[in-house]
Amino acid sequence: NNRSVFTNQNQKGFNVLLAKYSLKQRGQASVSYAQSLLGAPETRLTALDNGLRIASEETGQATCTVGLWISVGSRYEREKNNGAGFFLEHMAFKGTKKHPQSALEQQVESMGAHLSAYTSREHTAYYIKALSKDLPKAVELLSEVVQSCSLNEADIEQQRGVVLRELEEVESNLQEVCLDLLHATAYQGTPLGHSVLGPSSSARNLTRHDLVDYINSHYKAPRMVLAAAGGVNHEELVGLATDHLSGLSFEYEGDAVPVLSPCRFTGSEIRMRDDALPLAHIAIAVEGASAASPDIIPLMVANAIIGSYDLTYGGGKHLSSRLARLSVEENLCHSFQAFHSAYSDTGLLGIHFVTDRNNIDDMILVNTFLYYRMNLCTTVTESDVARGKNALKAALVGQLNGTTPVCDDIGRHILNYGRRIPLAEWDARIDAVTPKIVRDICSKYIYDKCPAVAAVGPIEQLSDYNRVRSAMYWLRF
Amino acid sequence: MMSVAARSGAFFPYMQATAFAVPGPLKALVPGVVIKGDQILLNPKKTFLCRESLSGQSAKTGPAVTVSINGNGGVRFAHTDIRVPDFSDYRRPEVLDPNKSSQDSSEARRAFSYLLTGAATVVSIYAAKTVVTQFVSSMSASADVLAMSKIEIKLSDIPEGKNMTFKWRGKPLFVRHRTEKEIAAEAAVNLMELRDPQHDKDRVINPTWVIVLGVCTHLGCVPIANAGDFGGYYCPCHGSHYDASGRIRKGPAPLNLEVPYYEFADDDTVMVG
Repeated sequence: NNRSVFTNQNQKGFNVLLAKYSLKQRGQASVSYAQSLLGAPETRLTALDNGLRIASEETGQATCTVGLWISVGSRYEREKNNGAGFFLEHMAFKGTKKHPQSALEQQVESMGAHLSAYTSREHTAYYIKALSKDLPKAVELLSEVVQSCSLNEADIEQQRGVVLRELEEVESNLQEVCLDLLHATAYQGTPLGHSVLGPSSSARNLTRHDLVDYINSHYKAPRMVLAAAGGVNHEELVGLATDHLSGLSFEYEGDAVPVLSPCRFTGSEIRMRDDALPLAHIAIAVEGASAASPDIIPLMVANAIIGSYDLTYGGGKHLSSRLARLSVEENLCHSFQAFHSAYSDTGLLGIHFVTDRNNIDDMILVNTFLYYRMNLCTTVTESDVARGKNALKAALVGQLNGTTPVCDDIGRHILNYGRRIPLAEWDARIDAVTPKIVRDICSKYIYDKCPAVAAVGPIEQLSDYNRVRSAMYWLRF
Repeated sequence: MMSVAARSGAFFPYMQATAFAVPGPLKALVPGVVIKGDQILLNPKKTFLCRESLSGQSAKTGPAVTVSINGNGGVRFAHTDIRVPDFSDYRRPEVLDPNKSSQDSSEARRAFSYLLTGAATVVSIYAAKTVVTQFVSSMSASADVLAMSKIEIKLSDIPEGKNMTFKWRGKPLFVRHRTEKEIAAEAAVNLMELRDPQHDKDRVINPTWVIVLGVCTHLGCVPIANAGDFGGYYCPCHGSHYDASGRIRKGPAPLNLEVPYYEFADDDTVMVG
């Protein structure tokens, strides 16, 4: 995804615990921001013969996170097997050929490690957080999970119920529902419209054969990255990978290499009205920039200018984001956040907000008026942009607060960009953004474009799509 | 939900959204019955209790429809079961292909829409303007009144040297067929002598014909034709003499006789007004 202020990635995994580590600077009283950027350890990248890439950042800590990031997700699934990746993630820790479930769990627990996974639309990750000295064992377990997952019929049948229960549970997380529906309508008819969870019929009907098919078509070495961060030695890591992962296949059956075709964005809307719900969740998005596009930085700065807001924010009407100030002063919403989900060739740039049934119209008016035209496309000022840049830099640095976020960063960067983009480079690119660039780029993506609207809850007050669409331009300009 | 299901005993398979069979150590796994097809068969004679669920007897079968008096009911299991309909019938040709980015054609599509809207707006404004003018102009003079404002005169009826009077717009209109002598005489008049200096050629289009309003410019009487000292008109009320061109020569009138707008449709017909 997305290095945006609000990371919006469908993280469907169990046991995702983020332990808080702090980067220890040894023997230094204080380090300036510029110094720390330049002093960050380099991410080393190697490739094996079968195409597997290995990347690591060594920080000399006692703990580490190591994982496999795979370039596969719901976007690679077809209608028939939508949800296979998610199901497979459930099956991943049910035992391998060498270690049945209890043995696998025992191995992990005895190290005191955490074994987790997540699936998103374009990436899947399996990772272990362990002590640095347990790196060899961790890599061995990871390689087994990915290469020789046992996939028992009995486990599959049992997991069906678990997946269905999880589907039921996610219905109550209206933010996820709203954003899922947003993707479904914005990318209708294309694979990006598939939800990561898959429909309930998948949970009921997927067979072992489907899952094995999925693994054989997509778990290929050139699409994988073994990433590690913490107290890891790169050479040691490469050695371990050669031992355990050089058997990963790199050939496709019948030479059928899956190629991602572009996904058409459709300006459209989907409304799930339910007056019994207390609050309405609404998301409005336009087609944004892809992950590797240079336009991403100004768009992230623009999102930082809009910012996010929640009823619990203590700043009240002194918040710097203009939209947040208005939300407080006029009681417009319970929360909002600006997001940018970037995929490999497209993206969704938008805003998601939660409000009660009588403020929807005002919120949309202010939101579209403010976000889309006034502030971003036409009149964003020097001080707004400076504030946004600082907020973005702080967020980028602040997100990397532990070996797991760093490892995740490495994995996703290698998959998206082919290399790890260091903080110093992000910093330089952010510094290069001027108000004129923000205005031009935002006009390019936002001004007079058809948005996709998704709404859940008591949304009677949500205006007709044509009205939202005509709020995307002004007759004055 | 689960506790109610446990208490229901015999209805247990129907209470859950899913049911699964797990093979035991001695018993082989018997696959559940797979119901194919879109129709859901419901037995209407079966008594309906607090909760019913159309889900079949194994996790593999059919859709889940739940009906409940004191719990959640629904025809859809999760939001991921929502299928966005296929709108291909309504799409423009450039966006029919789901594997092509819609950005490339977006400007062209917008330009077309805006052009169409712009053209329609212009046409509607014009139509509205036409309707409004039609209604507003219905309050102006009607056709019969306007018809009376013009008069068509057949000139061959007027012999040379004679003056004919017509009623036009409520006023007398003099049409005089002048002789060559009269024309030459009027053209030769010195403008310095005239109270209201106007050359004859400025008062006529065709010098043979003089068309003037027969209203004396003094106090509005009708002058008599072929009378007076100058071979033109004489007003009997106060003694104003006009010449053959209708110009004032003697008497109290200040201005020449008024020349209305007229044009010659052909040599024989003149339209005055």
